[in-house]
Amino acid sequence: MTIAAAIVVLVKAYLLTGAAVAIPFLVFGIGKTDPSARGAYGFRPLIFPGLVLLWPLVALRWAGTWERQPDGNRRAQRRAHALIWLALAVVLSVALALAWNQRQVVLPAPPSQRLSAAQVMDIDFSPMSPAMDVTGIVERAS
Amino acid sequence: MSVSYKSVGWTRSKVIYDVVLLLGIALFLRGFFYAAEQLRPVVTALDAQSLQIRAYGSCAFLLLTLVLMIGPLARLDRRFLPLLYNRRHFGVITFAVAAMHLESVLVWYLAYSPIDPWVALLAMDASYGQLRGFPFIPFGLAAFLVLLVLAATSHDFWLSFLTPPVWKAIHMAVYGAYGSVILHVAFGALQDARNPGLPLLVIGSAVLVCGLHLAAAWRERERTDASPATANWLDAGTPDLIPEGRSRIVDLPNGSRVAVFRDNGKLFAISNACAHQNGPLGEGKLVKGCVICPWHGYEYRLVDGCAPAPFTEKVRTFRVRLDEGRILVDPNPRPLGEKAEPVLLPEYRHEQA
Repeated sequence: MTIAAAIVVLVKAYLLTGAAVAIPFLVFGIGKTDPSARGAYGFRPLIFPGLVLLWPLVALRWAGTWERQPDGNRRAQRRAHALIWLALAVVLSVALALAWNQRQVVLPAPPSQRLSAAQVMDIDFSPMSPAMDVTGIVERAS
Repeated sequence: MSVSYKSVGWTRSKVIYDVVLLLGIALFLRGFFYAAEQLRPVVTALDAQSLQIRAYGSCAFLLLTLVLMIGPLARLDRRFLPLLYNRRHFGVITFAVAAMHLESVLVWYLAYSPIDPWVALLAMDASYGQLRGFPFIPFGLAAFLVLLVLAATSHDFWLSFLTPPVWKAIHMAVYGAYGSVILHVAFGALQDARNPGLPLLVIGSAVLVCGLHLAAAWRERERTDASPATANWLDAGTPDLIPEGRSRIVDLPNGSRVAVFRDNGKLFAISNACAHQNGPLGEGKLVKGCVICPWHGYEYRLVDGCAPAPFTEKVRTFRVRLDEGRILVDPNPRPLGEKAEPVLLPEYRHEQA
């Protein structure tokens, strides 16, 4: 199994487990964890994708082992916000410069080799036509 | 505000906001298809599906850029605040357009793939060892995953369920998603040197978004110089610094903020963070003794920090006093729901008498 296939299998297993947690939570658990959800049903389909994606948190909260988080230090949050954008500005500048260096310049064909619109429309694009033959098989066969 | 949850709490302004947004998207897509038809030489014309992929991708990129500009713009200039109120709808619509981009890619390139399309998408490009042709798809997928989580947790339920600090931390991942989108474009579409408009758009957007966020952070830094303390009470300046119906924001030693409001000659101090999404209450309007959060319209009475019935949200209040013409604020909050008596300004005392 390739790494890509393994990642996809793991993601599918995670999402299936999420669905297995989300459905009973929506039916039985939601009213216990949030009084505002009691008697309110219209919004429940909207939160289903989030329940599937964040099912470990949902399971912990449902089991009562995850406590509500107190507000953190706002000054630290604001400083973190500024640092994130400073870091992003530096990283993106470097990445854009590197990517710019790798751009591929496609030189236009000389006028003698350019096709007019009418000539392009006349090309036979069927798989066995000589125009589409890049390997020479068609020519040899004929 | 949230006695029991609704699917979407539509208001007239939300409907107008969404209609304008959707019309803007429709116009952009129409304009993109028209421009591609008119400007591209026939020999390099794209098929309809590739054009669709580029149109949705460009649109999602622009929407993400705009949604990330709203926050700092509103911090720098109050006139942008109305754009902030329904930013969640903007975010969800951005996710929907990004999903259309991904769906177009899967349908056009991988619909007939002999292996699972997702496996094919991940394995399509694996030249991680060199810069030229560096895989750009994983950057796009990472950004999409973040946008998916943010859209999926955008309902009010999630804010209550996860609590504001956790919800906020999760939603700050959008900054990483933006960086990832820039890399997706830089190592993807930007590699084609024939398109002169795209580099301008991408580099201009990145500079604008980063610049605005850093400018807003700089402005915050100027505002957050710690307030001087007098015998542990914080000095909030003189009353004439606060216009009637407005507030002055004071920083507490723990980094939280208090908004000192002046309402009909009385001074009140209330937490600056709304109980809903930590919106800046100090920037809100005063209506009949209540402050209205500028982000989502949650209301709190200044005197006790409680939302008017039937709503149940509460924020903390703080004691205030006047000492030699200066406003002093007790940094220790009152218990939730408990009144903090306001201070009547001397020039209003005779009016009350």
